[in-house]
Amino acid sequence: MADKSKLGKKYPTIVWEVERGKIRELVRAIGDKNPIYSNREIAEKEGYQDCPASPTFLTIPTMVAGSMATAVLDLQINFAMVLHGEEEYEYYREIYPGDVISGVPTVMSIEEKTSKSGRAMDMVTMEIVYTNQRAEKVAKVRSVIVERK
Amino acid sequence: MELYFEDIQVGQEMPTLVAEPINKIQQVMYAGASGDFNALHLDDDFAKALGMQGGVITAGMQVMGKVGQAITDWVPKKYLKKFGVRFSGITKPGNIITVTGKVIDKQASNQLITCEVTAQDETGNVKITGRFEAVLPSKSKNT
Repeated sequence: MADKSKLGKKYPTIVWEVERGKIRELVRAIGDKNPIYSNREIAEKEGYQDCPASPTFLTIPTMVAGSMATAVLDLQINFAMVLHGEEEYEYYREIYPGDVISGVPTVMSIEEKTSKSGRAMDMVTMEIVYTNQRAEKVAKVRSVIVERK
Repeated sequence: MELYFEDIQVGQEMPTLVAEPINKIQQVMYAGASGDFNALHLDDDFAKALGMQGGVITAGMQVMGKVGQAITDWVPKKYLKKFGVRFSGITKPGNIITVTGKVIDKQASNQLITCEVTAQDETGNVKITGRFEAVLPSKSKNT
């Protein structure tokens, strides 16, 4: 089971420089053709300062930093039994090309639960609050990792 | 056309998004774009060895991306304040994801709407349930 002594633990800060091409690449992979992500002129007409990052963009710094994998190892969770249970974003400000965002992955809770089918599982909640280069909070990411028993 | 708080009613449905069938090339693109190179999404042999009979499965975040698209096709992204999902079922290449949603609450004091969203496949199997909150402009106020 997950190592409960790690509650509150913070992992190395993720620093991510937001590239225009990466914003476009993610929506292309999703199949989201909204032009605000790729056409600056249209984005500005729609009230943005530039092409904004799409709603799930913050999955990228987390994945590239490998912070979830690091946490899974550190918490002594069985990798083969891990599921991504939940993901939640709170948006405070738009993220634009050229922004440098950073955040600290933090273990917020470790809970034992029983699934509907009666199976025991541990749920680990991680949170990252991202700020930009002006120290403005841009978003909060909450991820729940489930370890099935 | 601008979407105003006053135009939204509790119980109102969000426009439905029906996605193209998910394919493996798209999963490779998603892996490259997101940095999620979990072999479960890319390598059929690996996925089969882990008990996935048909081979690779789709990243949950890729399906969440589709839900995000459905939301922001309706509510401009700049108005979106919160978006959270629970992953409840496995998605596979070939699945046709349909995203539906419904307004469950609105608060006049801050022009906030709360909506439920669901992503399911062509057989009605639910992949994602979630909700989002958005603050919309008012016809009577400058926001």
